[in-house]
Amino acid sequence: MVADPILYVALPLLTAFLLPIIGKINKELIRIVPGLLFAFLVYNSIALFSKVSATHTPIIVEIAGWAPPIGINLVYSSFTGFIATIISVLALLVWAYSYKFKKLEFDNSLKYFVLLMLVTAGSIGVILTGDLFNQFVFLEIVALSSYPLVAFYRGRNGAEASFKYLLVGGFASLSILLGIVLIYSQLGTLNMADIAAHIDEMPRNIKIVSFTLLFLGFAIEAEMFPLNGWAPDTYSQAPGPIGAVFAGMTAKAGIYALIRMIYTIFDFSGAFEILLIMGVITLVVSEGIALRQENLKRMLAYSSLGQMGLLMIAFGINTKTAVIAGMLILFNHAVIKSLLFLSSSFLVYNSKDKLIKDAYGMGKKLPLTAILFGIGAFAIVGLPPFSGFWGKLYLLMASADANLLGLIALILAVSVIEIVYYFRVVNGVYFKKSKTEIEVHKPRWNASLAMIILAAAIIVVGIYPNIIYDYLVNAADTLLDKASYISHVLPNLASN
Amino acid sequence: MSNIIIILAIFGWAILTYIAFRLNKTLGNIFVGLIAVALPVYYFTYVPEDYSFQVMGLTLQFGFTSFSSLFAILVVILGALTLLYSIPYMNKKDRLGWFYLNFLFSIGGMLGILMSKDFVSLFIFWEIMTWSSYLIVIFSGKKVNKVGVKYMVYSAIGAYAMLMAIVLINKWSGTTNISHFFETFADYSNGAKILSSLLLLTAFAVKSALMPLHVWAPNAYTNSPMSYTSLFSGALSKMGIYGMALVAIMLYTNTGMKFFGEALAWLGAITAVLATFWAVFQTDIRKLLAYSSIGQLGYIAVGLGIGTELGVMAALFLALLHGLFKGILFMAAGAIEYRTGKTDFSELRGLIWKMPVTFFSALVAIIALAGMPPLSGLISKWLIYEALLSSEHYFLIILIFLSSTAAFLYCFHFLYGVFLGQREDDIEDVKEAPALMLVPMVLMSFGLLALGTFPGLIFKHISSSMSYLGFNDVTWEMSVLTNEWGNKIYLTHLNTMFMVVFAVFFVIITLVARKKTRRVGTKDIANAGEPILAEDNYHFSQDFYKPFWRVISPVMKYRIETFYNSFANGIGEFFQFFRRVYTGNGQTYALYVVIFLTILFIVGATLI
Amino acid sequence: MTEELMQQILKISFYGASLALILIGLYGVLTKKNLIKILLSMAIAESGLNLLFVAIGYIMNGTAPIFSTAVLDENNQLLETVTMVDPIPQALVLTAIVIGLGVTAVGLALVIRLYKHHNTINIDEIRNLKW
Repeated sequence: MVADPILYVALPLLTAFLLPIIGKINKELIRIVPGLLFAFLVYNSIALFSKVSATHTPIIVEIAGWAPPIGINLVYSSFTGFIATIISVLALLVWAYSYKFKKLEFDNSLKYFVLLMLVTAGSIGVILTGDLFNQFVFLEIVALSSYPLVAFYRGRNGAEASFKYLLVGGFASLSILLGIVLIYSQLGTLNMADIAAHIDEMPRNIKIVSFTLLFLGFAIEAEMFPLNGWAPDTYSQAPGPIGAVFAGMTAKAGIYALIRMIYTIFDFSGAFEILLIMGVITLVVSEGIALRQENLKRMLAYSSLGQMGLLMIAFGINTKTAVIAGMLILFNHAVIKSLLFLSSSFLVYNSKDKLIKDAYGMGKKLPLTAILFGIGAFAIVGLPPFSGFWGKLYLLMASADANLLGLIALILAVSVIEIVYYFRVVNGVYFKKSKTEIEVHKPRWNASLAMIILAAAIIVVGIYPNIIYDYLVNAADTLLDKASYISHVLPNLASN
Repeated sequence: MSNIIIILAIFGWAILTYIAFRLNKTLGNIFVGLIAVALPVYYFTYVPEDYSFQVMGLTLQFGFTSFSSLFAILVVILGALTLLYSIPYMNKKDRLGWFYLNFLFSIGGMLGILMSKDFVSLFIFWEIMTWSSYLIVIFSGKKVNKVGVKYMVYSAIGAYAMLMAIVLINKWSGTTNISHFFETFADYSNGAKILSSLLLLTAFAVKSALMPLHVWAPNAYTNSPMSYTSLFSGALSKMGIYGMALVAIMLYTNTGMKFFGEALAWLGAITAVLATFWAVFQTDIRKLLAYSSIGQLGYIAVGLGIGTELGVMAALFLALLHGLFKGILFMAAGAIEYRTGKTDFSELRGLIWKMPVTFFSALVAIIALAGMPPLSGLISKWLIYEALLSSEHYFLIILIFLSSTAAFLYCFHFLYGVFLGQREDDIEDVKEAPALMLVPMVLMSFGLLALGTFPGLIFKHISSSMSYLGFNDVTWEMSVLTNEWGNKIYLTHLNTMFMVVFAVFFVIITLVARKKTRRVGTKDIANAGEPILAEDNYHFSQDFYKPFWRVISPVMKYRIETFYNSFANGIGEFFQFFRRVYTGNGQTYALYVVIFLTILFIVGATLI
Repeated sequence: MTEELMQQILKISFYGASLALILIGLYGVLTKKNLIKILLSMAIAESGLNLLFVAIGYIMNGTAPIFSTAVLDENNQLLETVTMVDPIPQALVLTAIVIGLGVTAVGLALVIRLYKHHNTINIDEIRNLKW
């Protein structure tokens, strides 16, 4: 079978377009076809990623035959491929989880799956593309398909959350576009490698302004404090599996755009410090606020923001160890947070307000879901032998290498806060009696399977992290090697 | 066969046991019994071999040292015995598979800690031990947040202090190997020395419940099933001692950082005194034992802190002994709870004739705890006093003396309150605990008796671990104590003499006093001039040591716990206030974006 | 002289106008309480941005960047060199306009939903989700 980076983007978009027509043939196909598509994307990832890992050279696709910098290109390297693989596997799992999700009544599943495919295509597009404007377009695809997903349920406050997202997201797109315009006006190119190669030709003040604007826009998508007011609302109002999508895909797209800009496109060394400081603030504020949340989904959302803060810290330290830590945290966040969102949505399935109280006593009623949630909670606070531990250890090692003693203490103090609020919930789930009678909804086997796969990944990587270590090192090397990125994308540049 | 296989086998067996319990309770119990037998048999017969492998670019190394195998003996013996004890003790409870899963995981975690030769694997097993013990602390489902999460939080503070030390050590020395760290420690800068040892000592002090980091201990010990608390207090807390011994001794044998040792000794002494005082006034057997446990760990810290050869030897000896006698005492408390369902002094009395074997083991343990001849507690006390004397810590001697005297009070309270006195009707049909619960207790009390006369049995191991820690070989003989000044105490003679005197005394007392005994009702007690209020019950355990309490209560009202709680509340309130940043108004969020952009511009213009 | 001056004036007025539009939009988004007005302000800001983009690619006296046979002779040689404006901004602006349209449409749909749910379109009163 063929495997090509372009299929990541083209196939989901095409299928999303065709799905209503396919649905006319047989209604059941609406559910099946997306699954086939995601399965193909996973195959595509495995095929491409193993190829890239073997050769250590990125696969570069020139769309419509135009060579960069004129044409748009996709760059599938060890770094981008790693994230794309995570996203496509996650998409498949989310599909498996929501296949026959009871709350998605049949008519809605068409919209749901179309939007899911668009989000996936957009997120992977953001990560693979080598063109700044193209990245903006993909970010907008992500945003535009996220807004309806947030407002998916009529009964909830989804529309309110979605509108806030739209308002802030509108700022993000304005600011990104303005930044792109400024860069284009100076350099006349939109290709990232080309910009990176010529960035010192830009006047300093315009460079700063465009950097700031792009930073702001991507930081909004990456859920940096104080730009993340919309995030807890959207996480808590979207359908359960979409929380996993936001944590695992859209946030990843945002942070990817941010680090690609800081690492590759611009050459400001001060940018890393800004990222580091903002990461610390995001981490502390979000985890602190999560401490006394009463709403389970909101608590998970704040915790997710905290993890994004950790990611920013990791990439802000800007050493090889730190980038490896960042890749690990990215992996962990995608897997663990998805598991938490997926399992928690069964814990509070029929509850109206999704309060932590409503999940009390579910340990007996939903034993499997509860234990999976427990594994997720143990993993996210970084207890060995779960995968979260290695991310935390590597991040701390990186901070130690960078002589940031206060940062180590801070990260660890925040971990203590994390323990408090997660363990309270887990204890409640197992030992507290629920006061109100809420009807329990058991996960079907497909949903259970999706969650079990995530939990298995957490445990396997936790016990034997060597299976992903080489990929992480490759990814870190790829990200840090700006010159080889430019020379791979623009082979002619060096000869000129 | 490599070391790590044992650990993996224990973890694997834990999971098998869990599955077995899901299938059938008897099958599960058989699995538990099998591992309880296999553990010591395997440990004492296998040939140790070092093993190392690479994980994530870090080298993990495993292998027992002569020092860690000293503790491993304790873990293996106590682990096997508590597992046996658990079979009848836990039999009526639900979720047994879960219980034994975590039980075995914590045993595996402890052995893993002891065989780790590098800090990362030490930390991994440390955390496994922590969360598995946490899951047992909350096993009963009572006070899960108040006790369980508190335990987890303090453990996490300790563990994270260790983690911080580990990453710093990795940075300074380029490796996480433990012995490499100790060897190169002298070359570190002063700041690095102080920081790393402070962090490591904090980490280990939490587990060994040293004040002021002890707050989790009384409730966590009380809240978990007694069969586990035996192991918890007996062996798990010793992991803190293990680490502390390594760090403390390395500190002042290799470098001139003696003040750490002094501070440790003082903290230990204060812990010993205060915890003993608290133990005196407890009205619950389990709480009493828990505080007593903290106090005993304080003694051990004193021994480690003064850091002379004698002191360390005393500490190690006491650490092992404490594992045995506190193991027995918690088991006895468990046996009483198992048969009567009560653990409060005011509801228990006169069990001596109903549970004679339990009484016997508890008596042996109490004698050992109090440090009276002919039992081994005497030897440990002896060594501590001698160590303090020879290193001229006179004030510490006073504190230790105060504490051991006060310890008599709670020992007496325990024995008298539970076993002696006149029994009432409600415990008339209480039976002796099941045989499988008695066997571990009796075995351990025989162990204590044997060590009392022949401490050389264990001094062999202590001596080899002392030489690992960098001391000269300790001269030891099977049953002779030699002190600094060349005096020799022949324990066999001493103990025989004590026993003969005691036996004679006992016979005389019984013969003489038997006729004069007056039988009275249980409510007929002297109230020693204290007014008795109507709502008080007239049990003799009411206000057992009230006058003593009056004397020391001014000191005892200051509790560090209140300070910690208000600190935690303060953090919570601070972030509660901070939550209002998220006003819920989309426009405010948009405003934040604009403000942030402005700040970024300013920062960008000035900084970049 | 006039040529260059004209060009400068044109550029400045283009830039000024687009900047003004963006600022007007920002002001509207931050101060108006009506959801629809907020959306409109966003659209205004976006138009300003698009204008800016087109203005950057504009070259004085340039024609539309379309190759047609009109400028070629029978031998497919260029009759004369023609100045064309930069085509890329125009293409990009088209994309941006489409995206902006999509955002506005989704936004309006959300406003309808919000109005049904809350019976108001005042943004200050729609605050069920907070803290």
